[in-house]
Amino acid sequence: MLSPLTSFAAETPHISLAPDTFFNIGPIPITNSMLLGVLGYALVIALFAYMARAAKTRSRNRFAVATLWLFEGLLNTIEQVTNNRKAARALAPLSITLFFFIVVNYWTGILPFVGPVTYNGLPLFRGLAADLNVTFALAIISMVTVQIYAIRTHGVFGNAKRYLRNPLRDPAGAFEGILELIAEFSRLVALSMRLFGNVFAGEVLLVMVGFLTNYFAVVALPFFMVFELFIGTIQAYVFFMLTIVFISLGTAQHGSDDDHAADKQLPTSHTPPDKRARPAAASD
Amino acid sequence: MAHISILTSFAETASTQKADLFTALGINWKLLILQAVAFLILVLLLGKYVYPIIIASIDKRQEQLDAGAKASEAAQKQASEAEQRIAAQLKQARVEADAIVATAHKEAGDMVAAAEARAASKAEHIVAEAKAGIESDIVAARTALRQETKQLVADATEKIIGSKLDARADNSLIEKALASEPKGNA
Repeated sequence: MLSPLTSFAAETPHISLAPDTFFNIGPIPITNSMLLGVLGYALVIALFAYMARAAKTRSRNRFAVATLWLFEGLLNTIEQVTNNRKAARALAPLSITLFFFIVVNYWTGILPFVGPVTYNGLPLFRGLAADLNVTFALAIISMVTVQIYAIRTHGVFGNAKRYLRNPLRDPAGAFEGILELIAEFSRLVALSMRLFGNVFAGEVLLVMVGFLTNYFAVVALPFFMVFELFIGTIQAYVFFMLTIVFISLGTAQHGSDDDHAADKQLPTSHTPPDKRARPAAASD
Repeated sequence: MAHISILTSFAETASTQKADLFTALGINWKLLILQAVAFLILVLLLGKYVYPIIIASIDKRQEQLDAGAKASEAAQKQASEAEQRIAAQLKQARVEADAIVATAHKEAGDMVAAAEARAASKAEHIVAEAKAGIESDIVAARTALRQETKQLVADATEKIIGSKLDARADNSLIEKALASEPKGNA
């Protein structure tokens, strides 16, 4: 009785929230996302090495010019958000690497062999960004960086005061502090879940389009793949932008004690007073 | 004891459910830490060996652009100053040219007036000389005509009266006859 159902189920595409483990190296499980992640890491390193070489040799190659233009655009964006050239250069390695890392790993997840190539019935490859461990790790790194910069700006106690205030002296401030603390965790979860959700949904979309269109997948899939390339770029930019905005927010002065004080920017700030501005609140 | 058992079983259930959620989502703390460490190593390596090169290149290009912009600004300023100088020089040249033209006009006018005066004087002189010449010619012609007339009258008279008067008598008679003639017929 169940035979037709099970056979139908066996023909349905394999969709799993968690990456599939193939083997273990010591205590570390090796998953299909890690297998493709090796390619992702290699591509990111190759891309940056190429960019460095192109910058050194002043290459006029179109790809080199495009990637360096993108790099410079991201650097300028950090500078505009932080209002500080020196701080922008200090933040660049983390935030710009985040952008390129997410783009490359999002795009490698769209490659045609990701999904169809299987081993023991399980996809051999899976996009690294479609692994919640990776997106969580990236979000944790971002939020820890926010806290490091906030502590460097306000000091340990100054930063703690953003979250913990005396409820007897300032009940509203104490409540606001608790909300701020919750907001920090919600930002962490939102950063990781947003990226994971987009990548995973994209992969599921591609699998389902391929499954439903069957032999016509050759015609139908490229349109969705191009769409996913676009979404990947947008998501990488959102992650990059939110990271620097959170850092900027974390280093800005808040609270009633500082209401009349000039806004203090990042620790390396030498920004003239007229150029100092509170960064736009993140919509997270 | 029973209460403790219930509590432990509840805690165990909650813990199992939590572990199930994380497992279902694929969160594995070992993998998470591994991924975080791998990414941090990537950032550190790129930050140490790649970013300085790219950022230095961007800064250098920016400096060149700034220098170019400054040079352009300076060139524009110089061009503006040169334009102002040229405009001033042109204005001065126009004033000088106007003065020269005015002087030339005046001098030409003077020269024309002087030439006209000289020409008029010369014309008058020529006319006076011509008049004098004509007067002299008229006088000479009259004298010649008078002599010829005298001769003709003498000849005619000789033919009429058939004898020749002496020259003195002829002349005297002719002079008397001519003198009695009105002056305009002379």
